[in-house]
Amino acid sequence: MSAFLKRLGGAVAVLALVLALNFVLFRIMPGDPLTGIMDPRFSPEAKRQLAAQWGLDRPMSEQFAVYIREMLSFRFGLSMMTGRPVWEELRSRVPNTVALLLPALLLSAALGIWLGVKAARSRGSKTERLVLLSGAVSFSFPSFFVQLLLLLCFAYVWPLFPLRGTSSIPPPPGAAAFFDYLWHLALPLFSLVLMSFGSWALYIRNMMVKTLGEDYVLMARARGLPRRRVLWNHAFRSILPPVLTIFLLSLPGVVSGAVITETVFSLHGAGRFLLEATNSHDYPSAGAAFFLLALLTVTCNLLADLLYVFVDPRVRRGGVQ
Amino acid sequence: MTLTSQKRLRPSVRALFAFAFIFASVPAFAAPAAAGPANAASFDILDFEGPKMKELYYVVTRDMDAQILAMSTGKLDVLSDIYRPADVERLAASDTADLSLASTFHGFFITFNTRKFPWDQTILRQAASQVMDRRRWTRDLFSGYAEPLMGFLPPISPYLEPAVTVFPGGAEAARKRLAGAGWTWDSRGRLVAPDGRGLPLTKILCPPSSVAATTTEIAQMAAEALASIGVPAEAEPMDFQTMLARVDEQNFDACTNAWTMSRDPDSLYAFYHSLMDVSGGYNLSGIADPELDDALLELRYAPDESSARKAASRAQKLLSELMPVVPVYSRYSISAVRRGWDGVFATDRATADNLYTLLSMRPREPREPREGGERPIYWNIPEEIRTLNPLVSSTAYDWTVLGTIYDVLLSANPYTFEDIPWLAESWDIGTRPREGEGKGEEKKEGSVLTFTLRPGLKWQDGRPLTVDDVAFSMLYIRDRNVPRFYDSVKDIEDIQTDPETRTIRVFMANTSYWHLHNIGGGVLILPRHILEKVPDWRAWQPANNPHEALDGTPMTELVGTGPFVFRESRTGEYVRMTRNEHYMLYGRNSRNMYMKERTAR
Repeated sequence: MSAFLKRLGGAVAVLALVLALNFVLFRIMPGDPLTGIMDPRFSPEAKRQLAAQWGLDRPMSEQFAVYIREMLSFRFGLSMMTGRPVWEELRSRVPNTVALLLPALLLSAALGIWLGVKAARSRGSKTERLVLLSGAVSFSFPSFFVQLLLLLCFAYVWPLFPLRGTSSIPPPPGAAAFFDYLWHLALPLFSLVLMSFGSWALYIRNMMVKTLGEDYVLMARARGLPRRRVLWNHAFRSILPPVLTIFLLSLPGVVSGAVITETVFSLHGAGRFLLEATNSHDYPSAGAAFFLLALLTVTCNLLADLLYVFVDPRVRRGGVQ
Repeated sequence: MTLTSQKRLRPSVRALFAFAFIFASVPAFAAPAAAGPANAASFDILDFEGPKMKELYYVVTRDMDAQILAMSTGKLDVLSDIYRPADVERLAASDTADLSLASTFHGFFITFNTRKFPWDQTILRQAASQVMDRRRWTRDLFSGYAEPLMGFLPPISPYLEPAVTVFPGGAEAARKRLAGAGWTWDSRGRLVAPDGRGLPLTKILCPPSSVAATTTEIAQMAAEALASIGVPAEAEPMDFQTMLARVDEQNFDACTNAWTMSRDPDSLYAFYHSLMDVSGGYNLSGIADPELDDALLELRYAPDESSARKAASRAQKLLSELMPVVPVYSRYSISAVRRGWDGVFATDRATADNLYTLLSMRPREPREPREGGERPIYWNIPEEIRTLNPLVSSTAYDWTVLGTIYDVLLSANPYTFEDIPWLAESWDIGTRPREGEGKGEEKKEGSVLTFTLRPGLKWQDGRPLTVDDVAFSMLYIRDRNVPRFYDSVKDIEDIQTDPETRTIRVFMANTSYWHLHNIGGGVLILPRHILEKVPDWRAWQPANNPHEALDGTPMTELVGTGPFVFRESRTGEYVRMTRNEHYMLYGRNSRNMYMKERTAR
């Protein structure tokens, strides 16, 4: 318990540091937050009016106090790009991003793990060669290329899927809108799974190959345990902690979005918003997004620590620090 | 004007035939079927009776390849800003769309920091302009989709002065010019100033090639050109924001920059007057020349058009001698309209993605009705709408939507860019003496703008638009220092209205011909009955606030006088608009009614 509290304290310190850095780094980065929202005909005088409107003419200490208040109250202020509350901006985007990236992560991890284990089990076989090849190909191609190719094939040549967005225009009424939404997400989801299962498969295969040569696995086999049980309950279980860590640390990425996928498929997601907020120095939006991402990363890290207790008996018994 | 990165270049105009020689590799541009008058002289907005279509969707499709595919499959009807030559060729070859091409207000320049040696030397800048072969660069880099820029205003500007000083091109001529002025070369071939100072390395700041490949290439070509006359130079690619910061701090030798200018020559004052050499100002080169300053002040405060023309011409002639920047090229704008639409309107100065097309578009052949209604227009926007608050909105895409909702008093002839009536049927600009503000102060003059509204104008919610609305819009914006309109309205002293004659007289604090365009063409006319209820204009989200039309129809607070009424926005997906049946050019509201009322008067 005390170890957990210690980690919790560390996590709070990391968040405090992120909060401070978020404020300082964006302000020392070269660039002017007004550039992105300036009217083409602005005179220096009009620019000063705009700076005053956004409180950028106030002393830095005052700006910092406002920033901390907005972040800790989770209000986040108004986006300089859109003039809308940052919270509303995130609320409209994050669900789409999560609806796309969470299933993509789950499916690619599940497929990659299954193929990786299968390849490790049958070393030297055609299956292994196929998994190695498809795995390497899967994450070697640039995502925009694969996605444009898919778009060309399945939305243009064979128009099975839509070309853009998360809804038809106009959207169908009632429950059909939900299926329309799923239909729109299908191709981007497929593309993401296609591009990310390979890294999972190769990683799991390499770890499993090493584990399957361990003495305790040979011992289990010698004891006459069924092959399937040896594979999943002994070998795979022993690699579960690092797999879990990778999985949990991939979760913040589910919220931060996939910029290229959002661009190619014209999806309204968090990735492009985060990129644009950073590029245009939209302090409230970028600050809020990075703060939330840090919060999520720290939480996932803590969660991984907690879950180790369940997946690894050595941790439970205090054998591993 | 606005500083643009390579990827955010905005549209506009010039005749294809003017630079026919660079079009060897360009596919043929089909001339869209013209709606309304076919020439400048007979252009009259009352010939555009519309909108013809009931429904309009602004569809967000971001990726250029996806846009082309959507165009080819009929998911889009209008596509703007096609900037990749390969896409133009693909669309031209596909037989699915008619392309239109026009020159633009875009200008790309290489700017010298004239505040320090060696670029404070006019003769060196003149020599630099001689060795930079803009015609060849433009031809090589843009395959005909841009035109070389030889002046300080965009090629389509009505104020462009063609009779400026042009120095003979080539390294030999440049060396001769320098040698004539006492410049020499050392044993390594490096240029030496007449006072014996050697030239330091000139770094030409530019964005990295991953962001703007052609810009980086131009910077490299400029460095090579300078090296040909013994000026040590190299391109220095860097992050765009870092580059802007360095330029703003005046910590640079030379830099690349692109601007979108306007039909008025106000960019000349902003870019080259010494008063604009301040932090946040646009005089990046830091040029300070008393004679030029005088010409630019004359231009800024010209009382009428002819004196404005004279001052603009004088300023450009001086600039061609001073050469604080080397103009390089101006992009063309290319847009596509899917075949099967009649009423597409384009000129040599405006591509087909314009308001007149929007008003006149109608299907050539009736299509299968979709759910009992006619087919909507699908108009692409490549980025999602950021905000639909007309008082704070700043992106071109927000204004694509807002421009169909709100109107201004005057517009510009798409052939000539001359003023044409819009909400105002007539206007006048004059001057009046002003009272001195202090004892003994000399009396000054101020411009007086008089606008007469068209009869029978209505807001989209059915309420009448009055002179009171017009005055309220201007004063609301002025009193709140709304940054977007600040420069247009800050000099308004007083406004008088006469509901009987539908006239509005705007009294300005100083004299300037440009007040007419700033007020008449730059200030949106907003509904008083909505705006006076808005508690905070900065946080106003009119698209989210419900409002009721006179006949009880639900709508939002986005109420203007434009041809389409805002109905719904799904952020990141689309904006749905429907025809404004109270629009001044729609059906019975249009010419017949207007002419009848005029005759009756």
